[in-house]
Amino acid sequence: MTMIEVKDLSKVYGSGETKVIALDSVNLTIEQGQFVAVMGPSGCGKSTLLHLIGGLDRPTTGTVTVEGKDISKMSDTTLTELRRRKMGFIFQFYNLIPVLDAVENTALPLILDGVKPETARIKAKEWLTRNKLEDRGSHRPDELSGGQQQRVAISRAMVADPVIVLADEPTGNLDSRSGDEIASVLRKIVSDWGRTVLMVTHDPRIAAYADRIIFLKDGRIVDDALLSGDNGDNAKRLKEKVEAL
Amino acid sequence: MRIQILLAWRYLLGRKQRMALTTLAVVFGVTLLFGMNAMIPAMMEAFRHNMVTAAGKVDISISGDSNNPFDEASLDALKDIGGISHSTGLLQKNVLLPESLGGTTDPIAGASAVTVTGLDIPTAQSVRNFQIKEGRFLEAADGSETVISQLLADKMSLTVGDTLSIPSSDGIEKLTVVGILSLSASAGLDEIFVPLATSQRILNLPDKINTIDILIRSDADRLTVENEILSKLGPNFKSGPVEVGNELASALIMGESMMWLFGIMALAMASFIIFNTFRTVIAERRRDLGMLRAIGASKRTVMGLILTESLIQGVVGTALGLMFGYLMCLGLLASFGPMLQSFMRVSVGGPVITTANLVGSILLGIGFTVGSGYFPARSAMKITPLEALRPSLGAAEFRKNKRRALWGLAMVAASVFGLVIGELNVAALSTLVFLAGLIMIAPVMVKPVADTFGKLISLVYAREGRLAQGNLARQPGRAAITASSMMIGLAICIAMIGMITSILNGFIGYLDKSLGTDYLLMPSSLVLGGGNLGANQGLIDRIRNTDGVEAATSLRLAASQTKGAALQMIGIDPEVYPQISGLAFSNGDPATAYPALANGRSIIVNGMFATSAAIKTGDVLTLKTPQGDQVYNVVGVAFDYLNAKIATGYISQANLATDFNASSDVLLLVNRKTNSNNSAVLSALKAIAKDFPAFSLIDSTEFKNEQINMFKQAMSTLYVLVVMLALPGLIAMANTMSINIIERTREIGMLRAVGTTQTQVKRMVFAESLLLSALGTTMGILVGLFLSYLLLKALIFIGFTVDFFFPATGILMSVAVGLTFGIIAAMVPARTAARTVIVEALRYE
Repeated sequence: MTMIEVKDLSKVYGSGETKVIALDSVNLTIEQGQFVAVMGPSGCGKSTLLHLIGGLDRPTTGTVTVEGKDISKMSDTTLTELRRRKMGFIFQFYNLIPVLDAVENTALPLILDGVKPETARIKAKEWLTRNKLEDRGSHRPDELSGGQQQRVAISRAMVADPVIVLADEPTGNLDSRSGDEIASVLRKIVSDWGRTVLMVTHDPRIAAYADRIIFLKDGRIVDDALLSGDNGDNAKRLKEKVEAL
Repeated sequence: MRIQILLAWRYLLGRKQRMALTTLAVVFGVTLLFGMNAMIPAMMEAFRHNMVTAAGKVDISISGDSNNPFDEASLDALKDIGGISHSTGLLQKNVLLPESLGGTTDPIAGASAVTVTGLDIPTAQSVRNFQIKEGRFLEAADGSETVISQLLADKMSLTVGDTLSIPSSDGIEKLTVVGILSLSASAGLDEIFVPLATSQRILNLPDKINTIDILIRSDADRLTVENEILSKLGPNFKSGPVEVGNELASALIMGESMMWLFGIMALAMASFIIFNTFRTVIAERRRDLGMLRAIGASKRTVMGLILTESLIQGVVGTALGLMFGYLMCLGLLASFGPMLQSFMRVSVGGPVITTANLVGSILLGIGFTVGSGYFPARSAMKITPLEALRPSLGAAEFRKNKRRALWGLAMVAASVFGLVIGELNVAALSTLVFLAGLIMIAPVMVKPVADTFGKLISLVYAREGRLAQGNLARQPGRAAITASSMMIGLAICIAMIGMITSILNGFIGYLDKSLGTDYLLMPSSLVLGGGNLGANQGLIDRIRNTDGVEAATSLRLAASQTKGAALQMIGIDPEVYPQISGLAFSNGDPATAYPALANGRSIIVNGMFATSAAIKTGDVLTLKTPQGDQVYNVVGVAFDYLNAKIATGYISQANLATDFNASSDVLLLVNRKTNSNNSAVLSALKAIAKDFPAFSLIDSTEFKNEQINMFKQAMSTLYVLVVMLALPGLIAMANTMSINIIERTREIGMLRAVGTTQTQVKRMVFAESLLLSALGTTMGILVGLFLSYLLLKALIFIGFTVDFFFPATGILMSVAVGLTFGIIAAMVPARTAARTVIVEALRYE
C-alpha cells in the first residue's frame, strides 16, 4: 500500500537574484512499512523534502499525498491534526521540553489530543519501557544523556500511534555508539511495529539500517536504491556513493 | 487547557528568578493602585465623621438648597399645609472642640467635635422624641442650659449640673448640663441641645435656622405633603438634611483620581516589563514552541500557553499587590495620621476598601498582565514548526529599524508642535505620541549611545567594554525595549521632581502673598468649612483696637452651588484685604477686580473651579443662595493658599451677609505697625485669642515655615511614590539582564573556555548593564523634561501660575539613580554568569 506519494514537488526560496531552488520537480512513492533514508550533500534539499512530506512547510508547486490525502492544500488546523495523529517527529536536537520529565515529554502528543492524563501517562510509560527507559521516567532532559534524550524523543514520536515517523538527522548530535542504538530503534519501528520511517541523514553507517536509500543532489533525486545484505558492506558502498556525489 | 496550565506552571517554576522579578512588577502596580485608593476613602470617612450633621428621626427634613441657614420666618409658610401634623425649626452645626475646652482628636477616647442643635422648645418635643435618661429636658425659660447625649456625657465625664464649655462666635459659651439623653435617642452622636436663641447666639446667626423637621399626619401621603411644602417654601429649599463638606469631598475625589492615575502609571510600567519579558521568553523558547507545533499543538494552544503564564503571574502578582497595598495604606495612614490630627483636627481610622477599588485593582492588575502578554502570545502563535528543526544560531538582530526610526522622528516632531500649540488635551496626547516616537527611535539610538558610553567604559575596562558594546548593538530591539522601561521610570522621576520643585517654589510665593500678614488667627481646622466656628464682629473690633495693630481683616465662609457643583464662598473685605494680604491672580486684573467686588454682585473664582466649570473673567455665574438664585459677574481668576485645592469663589463680605446670611469671621489676618513692639502686640493678641478658643494665634512667619515644612513633608511622600514608580525600571533591567545571561549561557561558557576570567565575565555584564542604563537615562531625561513641562502646563491650565523650574536636581538624581540601577540590576546576573560551569554551559540548550 502506498503511504506517501510525491508528485512534481518543487520548493523555491526567495526571488530574483536570491532565488534558491531547494527541490526541483521531485517524484517519489514510499510504501507502507518501508524504512527510507534520504542522503545527499549539504544543501541538496533533503531536509526540505522531509519538511514538505511532514506538512511542516508548503510546496511551491506539486503535491504530497499521505494515505491518499493531498496535504499540500490542507488548512493549518487540518494539517496540525494530521501531524498530531498520523505522524511522529524526531529531531536532531531532541527538542524535549526542559521543564517536563521523560513521561510528561513522551505523553505530550496524547495530552495535546485531549487524551486523559492518566491514560496518556500509562501509554507514555509503555513506550519508555520499550525504549529501555523505564527507570528514567521521572528524569528531566538535563538529567539524561544524549542517547537517552533521543530515545525519549522516539517514544514521544511513537506514543500517538502514527503511521509515519519522520526523523531529521536523528543521530547527528550523538556519538557512534548512541547513534547505532537509535538507528536500531528506528529499524525496530519498521520491523517490529510496522510503521513507515523516512529519515534524513548524512551518515552512511546509519543510512545502512534502512531498506531504501534516496540520493538527492541540487534538489533532484539522482539515485534510488534498495538495500540488502550486510550493514557494514552497505555502509561502505553508501560512503563511496556519497563521496562520488 | 490542561496542557497550557501544566506547561505554564512548569516553565514558571523552572525560571523562578525571572518569575519573581516579573511578578514583582505587577505587585508594585497593584500595591500602589490598591493601597493609595484605600487611603483616600479612609480620609473621606474621617472627614465625614467629623462633619456629620444629624437629622432626627422625622418624617420630612427640609433644609436650604444651598446648605446655608435661612430665616426663621420661613416656618410661617407651613402653617396652612393640611398634611403636616407638627413642625419645628432647628439650627444645627458641627463645632470643633479645641483642646483647651477638652477636645481630643481620638473619636473613641473623647470628642473632637460636638453637633450643636438649637431647638424651639415649645415645638421640638412634638416632632422628635427626646428620651431623657437623667435630669430634665430643656424648658422655655432656659438660656445657657443644655441637654447632651449619653455618648458625649460618657466621653467627657459629664453629669447633670456640670458645665460644658464650647467655642462660640463671641468667645466661649458656658453651658450647664441639665439633662442627659438616653443612648437610643441620639444615635451614638456627640450631640448637645440648647434653646434655639442660644444656638443662634453661639453661631452668630440671629433669627436663622437651617433645618425644619416635620411630622406628617398619619392619613397624609408623605410625597404629596413634601411636594406641597417645597412649593410653598419656594425653590431655595430642598428635602433632606444640611450637607456639609461637599467642597472638601470634591477635592478628595480629585485626589482619588490622582491615585488611580499613579497606580495605572505603575501598572503601565509593569506591563512594559511583562511585555519585554514575554518577548524574550518567546525568543528563548522558539524551538520548544516550534516542536509543539510540529507534534500537533494548534496555534491557539501555543497562544493559550503564553496567556496562561501571564494569567498565573497576573493572579499571583495581583493577590500579593492587594496584600502589600493594604499594608502600605496602613503604614501611610499611621504616618499621615499625626499630621492630619494637628492640622485638620481629624482622626483617620484604618484603610477603607471600596468595592470599586478592590474590583478595579483586580481587573486592572490581571488585565494589564494578560494584556501585555497578548502581543508576545500572538507572535508565539506565528512560530512555524520548522523553527524546531533549525539549529539555534543565536542570530544577531540586524533588523532594518531605519524606517521605524524615521516614523518615530516624525512623531517626536509632531508632539513638540502639539506641546507649543497651548491646548492641554493636544499637549497630553502629544506626550503619548512623544513616548511612542522615542520608543521607535530607540533601536537606532542603541549603537551611538553604546559607542559613546562604551568608549567611557573602555577607558576603565577596555576589552570587557568592547564586548558589552557589541552585545548590545547586535540586539538593538531588545536593548531599546529594556532601556525604554527604565526610560519611563526615570522620566516620571524627572517630571515629578520638576513639578514638585516648581510647585514648591510657586507655593512659597503664594504663601507669602496669601498670608503676607504678621499674625493669623487660625480656626481649629485648616479646612475652613470643616466644623470651624466663626467669631462675631467683637473679635475683629478688639483686635483693631489693640495698641500696635495697624490693620486687620478677615475671611468669612458660606456654601453655594452653581453649575451642578458645590462652591465654597469666601467673603473678603475688598478694600482692606488686598492691602494686607492678597489673592494670586492667574486671570483678570487685581486693580479692577477688588473694587468690582465692592460694587454690585461680583465674584473672583479660583483656578480649580474656573477649570472644572470652564469659567473665565467676564462670564456670569448663577449662585444658589438662601435668598434664591443670584447672578454674579466673574471679575477674575485667583486663589489664596488655603483654598487652592477646593472650588472657591471670593465675594465681598457685604454680599456674603446679604445673600448667604454669613457674617462670622473664620480666619483673621492682622498687621502690626512698623514701629510697634512685636512681643507686646503678640501678648495683647494672645490675651484676646484666649477668649476665643476656636482660634489659635499664629505668628505668620512661624506658620509659613510650618506650612513649608508640611508641604515639604507631603512632597517627600511624593518622592517615595516617585521612587516606587522608578523601581519597576530597576526590576525590568534586572529581569532583562538575567534573561540575557540565561540565554547566552553557551556563549559565556565558550568565553570562559577560551580563557576569559570570572572577573572579566562579571565586568562584561556590568558594562552591558551600565550601557543599557545610559541609554535608558538619556531617553528618560528627554521624556522627563517633556513631561514636566506638560505637567506644569496642566497646572497653569487649572489656574495655578507656576513658573517652569528646570529640574536640574531631578536630572542629576536620575543620572545617579540610572547608573546605580545599572549596577544593581547587573549584580545577580553578573554573579550567575561568572559562576558558569564551562562544561555545563557548553552543553546548555
